[in-house]
Amino acid sequence: MSTLHVLSHSPFGDDRLTSCLRIIGTDDGLLLCGDAVHALQPGTAPFNALSTRALKLFVLAEDAQARAVNVPDCAASIDYPAFVELSVHYDKVNSWL
Amino acid sequence: MAKSLLIISRQSPWSGPSAREALDIVLAGGAFDLPIGLLFLDDGVFQLATGQNARALQQKDLSANLQALPMFGVEELFVCADSACARGLSNFALEEAQGLAAHEVTALIDRYDQVITL
Amino acid sequence: MKFAIALFSAAHAPSSRRALLFAQAALAGGHEIVRLFFYQDGVYNASTSVVTAQDELDLPRQWRELVADHQLDGVVCIAAALRRGVLNEEEASRYQRSVAVGAPWELSGLGQLHDAVQNADRLICFGGA
Repeated sequence: MSTLHVLSHSPFGDDRLTSCLRIIGTDDGLLLCGDAVHALQPGTAPFNALSTRALKLFVLAEDAQARAVNVPDCAASIDYPAFVELSVHYDKVNSWL
Repeated sequence: MAKSLLIISRQSPWSGPSAREALDIVLAGGAFDLPIGLLFLDDGVFQLATGQNARALQQKDLSANLQALPMFGVEELFVCADSACARGLSNFALEEAQGLAAHEVTALIDRYDQVITL
Repeated sequence: MKFAIALFSAAHAPSSRRALLFAQAALAGGHEIVRLFFYQDGVYNASTSVVTAQDELDLPRQWRELVADHQLDGVVCIAAALRRGVLNEEEASRYQRSVAVGAPWELSGLGQLHDAVQNADRLICFGGA
């Protein structure tokens, strides 16, 4: 079964992203929303951690836009209808609250 | 067949009501005879530290609720070995909790129908 | 597809707005929401005591309208609500406090969360930041 992991906390000073990357499965996806989109800032440790993995990576468009974070080619920018469809596509959704 | 639910508890017992409220979900599920699993991850492993003294903070002791888990039919109890090791924990107040390596945590999440990480 | 949506953060948290927009998008996409369940600080989203500035998003009102418009099943965890002072008429009179939640919300136990998980194809949780 596949899992869509959802992160919403900033990766700076918080260990959710690190823990998530440690246990994420090969069929899983990762959606960054809220302050978690700061992980897409090139040259940072979270960005490097993300880029060394062949992850299915998604980002909530409004959160990237609000924070002036550029969405790199390795991530797909999605809106709410696409978020809903992603949660249908994956067997379960694991939000790291 | 009933759907299985895995609760991943990531909060320390002294950081507010979150750890207790995660445990309450587990106990409620057990009371309804549902297939429930509980994994302690990250700071959640502090819930399993031995020799804690809740009264020092005028709190109720969470460990009594933890000990009640098997009685509520919750026998799927796990602890992330990496999280425990990183925090210097080697003894757990809950004997039934099974230590899991990272890849075993991946497999654990995979095997449950739904998951709540608190 | 049948969704159960659980909300764990207060009305002023960005994740609560995200939950609302997800719920709206799910309904617009032809999906069903079998239950909204508010737990932990999520109970504040059902509070009638929240006052929002006129130029800000009034999330408790938006939730009320969503539940009423779509006849959704909106459940607030009673234990979490008591702990946070979000009492309905019955509980307020029992404990001699002010009323802070009413229709369309229903106060009930955690069994309703498990029941929603059993009846839904997906459980989606929102909370934290």
